[in-house]
Order: sequence, then C-alpha cells, then structure tokens
Amino acid sequence: MIRNVISLIACLALLEASAAAGAAEFAVEQKAKNFTIKKLNIKVGDSVKFVNDDPFSHNVFSLSDAKSFDLGSYGQGGSKTVVFDKPGTIEVECAVHPDMKMVIEVSK
Amino acid sequence: MSPAGLRRCIAALLSAASSAVALAVAGAPTQSSSPGQARTSAKVEGAILPRDSKEAEAFRGGLVYANYCVTCHGFNADGNGRAARLYNPRPTNLRTSDKNDAYFGLIIRLGGEAMGRSPFMPPWGAELTDEQMADLVVYLRAINSHTKDQQ
Repeated sequence: MIRNVISLIACLALLEASAAAGAAEFAVEQKAKNFTIKKLNIKVGDSVKFVNDDPFSHNVFSLSDAKSFDLGSYGQGGSKTVVFDKPGTIEVECAVHPDMKMVIEVSK
Repeated sequence: MSPAGLRRCIAALLSAASSAVALAVAGAPTQSSSPGQARTSAKVEGAILPRDSKEAEAFRGGLVYANYCVTCHGFNADGNGRAARLYNPRPTNLRTSDKNDAYFGLIIRLGGEAMGRSPFMPPWGAELTDEQMADLVVYLRAINSHTKDQQ
C-alpha cells in the first residue's frame, strides 16, 4: 500500500516536472525606447521576462483579452515576468512611451 | 512673421485643433456620475483641448495630455481611459480633482507612489521636460471644474 502511494506521488512529481520543463522563458528588452522584439511566438504556459535596458523607467502593460496586465514603472536593470496562460494575440505597450508596441502570439 | 500675424496663426491653429478634437471625441461615452457630481460634470463635458483658451501653454499642455495621459485618464480627463479597468483605485478624474497646481506638478513629476497615491501613476520627471510638465499643469487647470467654479 505504502509502496503504491509512493509510486503515485513520484508519478505526479514527474508529471509536474515535465510540464514545467516544457514551459519556456523568453526575454524581451526595452532598449532605446523600443521593444527589442516586435513579434514573439510562444506557447501557452511560456513566460516572457521584460527587461529594462534603458537608463530611464518603462511601464509595460497590455489590455488584450487574452492577457491584461500592468507591470508598473521600473528602472534600468529591472525586470518583470509574465506567464501567458491562454492562447491569443497580446498587444504589449509602454505607458510612458506611447510609440513602443510589440505583439505576442500565444498558441496552444 | 509679425507678432500680430503670429497671434492670428496660433488662434487659427487653436480653433482648428479644438474643432477636430471635438469631432473626434464626440462619440466618446459620457461620464457616469453620482447625483452629487452631475452639476459639475455637466459643466466640464467637452473636448479634450480647451475650446476657448488662447493660452499657448494650455494648448501645448493639451498635446502633452493627449500623448501621455489619455491612456489612463481618458479623452475627457475623467479617469475613464482605455487602461483604467486595470487599476484599483481607478485613475483620477482630473476634471473634478480639487488638488492645486503645486500638487499636480509634483505628482506628474514624481509619480503616484511618491505622493502616497496609486503606484501605477508613473513618474514623468525623467520623460517630460520642465516646460512640458508646466504646460500640462496649465492645461489641467483650464479643464478643471474647480477653476471654472471660481471664475
């Protein structure tokens, strides 16, 4: 009985580990008032790290239905990560610099 | 260009821009407000740029507002911008705010967190020039209902 329970726990842990291993993390820098990547294709469960390489603050946000978020203002060297848990097209903007835009396509 | 010519040119630009923006925002939803706010709202509805202002600072401040502030505070400066739904508390209704010019100037420059307000109001001191921030304050004063009540 105990052996069965241990096997079950081990299987569950293995499943969780394999799911986590399948999720990738991407990095997008904010540099010279631009996103370094204009279009990014990722899978559901992947995450994107937004890294500020400018000597001033950025405020990354999205109002898209598939993922709405606001990372707030953060300065040079700062970064924040967003996990994309639904498929769809996400338009990402910067509240401080209205010309900064990029698109993330999240597929199943 | 002579000073008189320059004045005529600015007046024409103000008139044209105000008309254009009035048309652009004509379809924008009007602000919903409590009965206590209704009187004030009725007085401050209108275009984003001051229709009757010949002040260059207010006009320039309106352009700064339209470029940087409109996403959260909205076309009518009533706190109903397209990003407003992300925030709790909601962005401030700048039409009915009772804050003075010094406060406007500080919160624009330093951001909300430094002033004990929403951390989602960015600090604009590194992005805007002193002149842009001063113009923005003049513009906000021009559209603010408390200013109008005092006139």
